[in-house]
Amino acid sequence: MRYSVYNMREKKQNQGKKPKRMKQNLHVYLGLHILLLVYSASIVFSKLASGYSFLSVGFILCYGMMLLLLGMYAVFWQQIIKKLPLMTAYANKAVTVVWGIVWGVVLFDEKITWGKALGAALVIAGVMLYVSGDQGKEAA
Amino acid sequence: MNREFLLYAGLLLFGVFLSAVSQVMLKKAALRTYPSKIKEYLNPLVIFAYVIFVGTTLISVYAYRVVPLSLGPILEATSYIYVTIFGVAIFRETINIKKICGLLLIIAGIGVYALLG
Repeated sequence: MRYSVYNMREKKQNQGKKPKRMKQNLHVYLGLHILLLVYSASIVFSKLASGYSFLSVGFILCYGMMLLLLGMYAVFWQQIIKKLPLMTAYANKAVTVVWGIVWGVVLFDEKITWGKALGAALVIAGVMLYVSGDQGKEAA
Repeated sequence: MNREFLLYAGLLLFGVFLSAVSQVMLKKAALRTYPSKIKEYLNPLVIFAYVIFVGTTLISVYAYRVVPLSLGPILEATSYIYVTIFGVAIFRETINIKKICGLLLIIAGIGVYALLG
C-alpha cells in the first residue's frame, strides 16, 4: 500500500517534469544530428581533398577542414554520449549513410539506383540491429 | 566494377580496419593508470594510435579519388565487424545473436550496394 502511495506521488511529481525532460531530450537529439551532419561534412571535405594533388593549396585547405570537423565531432561526441545512452547515439549514427548518398547526389553528381538504396537500407537496418544487441549494457 | 575501383575500395576498407585498430589502442591506453594527467595523453600508445588515425584519414582521401562519396559511409559500417572481433578477442566482450544478425545484414547491404548498385 505504501509502495502504491509512493508511486502515485512520484507519478504526480514526474507529470510536471515530463515536458521539460522531453524538451531537453529533443535538444540532445537535435545536437546529435547536427553533430552527425558535421561528421558527414568531414567526409565531403575528404572527397574534395582527393580532387587536388597532394600538398597543394586546395588539398591543404580541404584536408585541414576535414581534420577540423573531425576534431569538433570527437570533442562534442564525448559530450553527447554523456547525455544519451551509447547505443542510442550509435544507432543514430547510421544516418550518415543517408547523408553520404545525399551529398554524393547533390554535390558530386553521383547516381542513386534502387540497388544502392536497398543496400544502404540493409546496412542501416544492420547497424540498428547490431546496436540493439547491446541493450541492457548501455553504460559500456 | 573494374579492378581499379576494387583496389581503391579495398584501400578504404583497410583504412577503416586501421581506424578500428587505433580505437583498440586508445581503449587499451584508457584502461591503464598513469602518474599524471599529461602522461595520460602523452604516452607511446596514445601517440601511436593518433598517428595511425591521421594515417587513415590520408588513406581515405587517396581512396576517394575513385570511390564515390555515397559508398564511403557504407564501407565505414564494416568497423562494426572489426570492433566486434577485437571486443571478443581482446576485451573478452560477449556477442549475441542480434549482433551477429546485424553484422550479416551490414555485409549483405554492402554486397547488394556493390553488386546491384
